Amino acid sequence: MNGLALFLARFQFGITAFFHFFFPPLTIGLGTLLVIMEGIYVFSKKEEYLRMTRFFMRLFAINFVVGVAAGIVLEFEFGTNWSQYSAYVGKIFGSPLAIEGLFAFFMESVFVGVMLLGWKRLSTGAHWVSTILNALGSPLSAVWILVANSWMQTPAGYSIGKDGIPIMTHFWRVVFNPYFLYEFLHVVIGSWEYGAFFMAGVAAWFLIKNNKDIVMRKALTIAVIAAVMVAVGQIVLGDLSARGVVRYQPTKLAMMEALWHSQKYAPETLVAFPNNKTQSNGPSVGIPGALSMLSYMNPSARVMGFDSSIKYVNQKYDLKLTPSMFPPVWIVFWSFHIMMYLGFYFAVLMIIALIFLFNGKLLESRKLLNVLWYSAFLPLLALELGWFTTEIGRQPFAVYGLLTTANSVSPNVSDLEVVLSTLMFILIYIALAWLAIFLFMKEMRERVSGKDEISGVITARNEAVTGKEVQS
Amino acid sequence: MSLDLNILWFILVGVLILGWSVMDGFDYGVGGLLGFIAKNDSERRYVINSIGPVWEGNQVWLVLGGGAVFAAFPLVYASVFSGFYLAFMLVLWLIIFRAISFEFRSRVSSTSWRGFWDASITVTGLGLSLLFGVALANIIMGIPLNAQHVDYQSLFSLLNIFAIVGGLVSLSMFMMHGSAYLVMRAEGEIQERARSFALAFGYAFVVFTVVFLLISPVFAPRLLGNSFGIAGDIVPVIMLIGGAGVILTAKSRSEFLPFIFSVIGIIGAVISIAASLFPDLVPSSINQGYSLNIYNAASNPHTLFVMLIAVLFGLPLVLIYLFYAYIKFGLKVKMDDSSY
Ligand code: HDD
Ligand code: HEM
Ligand code: HEM
Repeated sequence: MNGLALFLARFQFGITAFFHFFFPPLTIGLGTLLVIMEGIYVFSKKEEYLRMTRFFMRLFAINFVVGVAAGIVLEFEFGTNWSQYSAYVGKIFGSPLAIEGLFAFFMESVFVGVMLLGWKRLSTGAHWVSTILNALGSPLSAVWILVANSWMQTPAGYSIGKDGIPIMTHFWRVVFNPYFLYEFLHVVIGSWEYGAFFMAGVAAWFLIKNNKDIVMRKALTIAVIAAVMVAVGQIVLGDLSARGVVRYQPTKLAMMEALWHSQKYAPETLVAFPNNKTQSNGPSVGIPGALSMLSYMNPSARVMGFDSSIKYVNQKYDLKLTPSMFPPVWIVFWSFHIMMYLGFYFAVLMIIALIFLFNGKLLESRKLLNVLWYSAFLPLLALELGWFTTEIGRQPFAVYGLLTTANSVSPNVSDLEVVLSTLMFILIYIALAWLAIFLFMKEMRERVSGKDEISGVITARNEAVTGKEVQS
Repeated sequence: MSLDLNILWFILVGVLILGWSVMDGFDYGVGGLLGFIAKNDSERRYVINSIGPVWEGNQVWLVLGGGAVFAAFPLVYASVFSGFYLAFMLVLWLIIFRAISFEFRSRVSSTSWRGFWDASITVTGLGLSLLFGVALANIIMGIPLNAQHVDYQSLFSLLNIFAIVGGLVSLSMFMMHGSAYLVMRAEGEIQERARSFALAFGYAFVVFTVVFLLISPVFAPRLLGNSFGIAGDIVPVIMLIGGAGVILTAKSRSEFLPFIFSVIGIIGAVISIAASLFPDLVPSSINQGYSLNIYNAASNPHTLFVMLIAVLFGLPLVLIYLFYAYIKFGLKVKMDDSSY
């Protein structure tokens, strides 16, 4: 397999996966918040909650549809770009994808239609049930796609068949492989975190323009309370994930922490400039013993460095990997560290916001409102960087210990084909991103004057285009 | 030949493809007709809202079909999608544009904005309908799978005469289906126009199907003359019955019969393809021994069994969701302030 084809296949998958994951977290996070907003309306019958729900649902719809469009690409990319991978692990890996379609995608996609277009068709209670079913569907789809991904991190529940190909022996062990729960909780809580930050940021934006906006005052309250809980919880879950890495993927841990050689009292490096060639960090700052402490609850514990983790993996799986097959350590190091720093920042920010909220000062503090608006999309950065850590840190494996990425590529797809299609994807995705942002800002601006669907002011979609068009 | 897990999965995949072509098929059809059947913006909105609340759910049949093939017959998933690489990318781009068009079109009230998305809905509907047949016709002909079940071919070799006729069959089939669907869901002038379209595409479907069958002995002898003997040869007649039914009922007073016949036509098409392939899934045009069939392409029995249980629980749920959505929105299209 030539290196170029491998690079191109990775690049294409990376771009498309990266782009897809712009959207699912908000679908998951905002979906759950919609259930809460509409629920308050159903029980209190206060109209401002209905307005809130309907406004955020219009934003939700833009995000959802782009997420679906981009997701369908990924569903087939394992076949188009990674055909050797699919042929090798399909007997196991295909099942969660099929189950996801059957039990999750149908639920969310059918009920999203009912939810978005059914305001006049369903009773208040029945509409809320549709919102709930849509919001249940998206974390369910996360369950199954993360079963698939976590299985690639820590394969389990299989045996190697006569032809050398893994076959499923225990379905539930495939599902509850060692990484699954960590990964699922971390990703879904991260998505809720993004949903809450998004809602808080949007509400803050409106309050900066007009702080009498009663709907957005209440929206901000809901969002801050939700955000503080998940932001603190996420730090704990992140720590749990890291312990999973310590146990199962020593090579990844060494890259995440830029630890080149095994040592006792291993430091938690905070800033470094890792260099694969010299296997050193350059000027760096760290807390001595902290990594050993975090990994093993014991500051003097020995933590495996990059070189010995490769030896360990070679021995364990009977392979001949060399350090040059591993990705640049700085990417993994910085992806992980920026995510972690963001995680702490989120928790601190929301705790401050909560204190201001209780003191009744939040709505008056323009500064804090501005910070909330500017932070609205930051969790998305943390989410993407998390995937960089997980996926790039897993290299050179596609399935840890079993299959390298180099042996996963489709042999029959030419470089030219991949280059052309990647360029096309980039063009389409730039257009999609631009359209999504444009429509998002348009919805925001339209509402500034207090107009929305309920106050009787008709929005664009209900206006027929006038002029010569009508007669033609 | 006893009924084993592999055969059951062959049937199940057929059922999923049928679900896709019946339910997503009318979405493609209505989309493809949009540019021709509606005369102004409010008519176009009316037509779009006939599939508005359901297209997103219908589309999942495609995702599920992909997942099911991956789970049950991973080697088919691996070799077909990589073998049809560029063609498949084209399908993905059409799907992306189609999906966002519905959601984006009505959010801005400018003629050019809406014109663009309406054109996109039309083109993607026509394109997907055409490619469906092109792909399946190529598979019935057999693709150049080598001993490793890998297929090296170019985009252009997919465009041969047989495949183009196959594409015309599916194009006319889905357009007929979309028209028949509109006869059922629309009222007034749109319904009248839909009747005329159903009639025209009914004729087109019958003609293209007959041509396809007549040239098949040259290109794909297995279409007639499959493992089921005479019984297998009679199956394609179901397609013609469906088409003829649409022709006969399009201008009648019934609102349902054209749709029912068009569903029969689609069922005939899917069964014909399934019967012609069985027990192969992807025949090799190089050497019959290199073909992927329901045994050498399949997952191990444990996976097939687990997935069978999943389908037995999941499919009824899916049908309940879909049924609920259709019931709630009523038979005739009605617009309100949350419509697209
Ligand atoms: C943590 C969650 C998560 C992750 C890691 C992924 N997805 Fe995703 N996906 C979703 C969460 C999600 C979602 C929340 O369920 C989406 C996003 C927007 C939406 O409407 O559903 C979705 C949509 C979506 C769709 C469209 C479904 C439909 O028509 O309703 C497909 C086919 C995929 N995804 C497939 C994939 C594949 C093959 C992935 C891996 C490579 C993947 N997704 C990663
Ligand atoms: C949606 C969130 C995800 C993102 C942002 C993401 C990101 C990435 C990136 C950036 C790469 C390229 C790594 C490299 O080139 O070194 C990659 C590779 C890959 N990922 Fe993911 N990934 C995601 C989810 C998944 C999931 C859920 C799966 C499996 C079901 C998966 C399977 C793969 C595979 C097969 C590769 C190719 C091999 C490789 O280059 O690592 N990814 N992903
Ligand atoms: C103090 C904070 C955090 C720590 C210690 C932490 C730790 C980790 C670790 C160790 C991994 C890699 C796990 C693996 O390779 O399997 C990871 C992955 C990930 N992180 Fe974080 N994280 C933190 C904050 C966040 C935040 C705030 C978000 C998003 C809002 C986030 C989103 C992700 C995602 C999406 C992944 C990839 C999926 C996964 O492997 O679980 N993380 N995190």
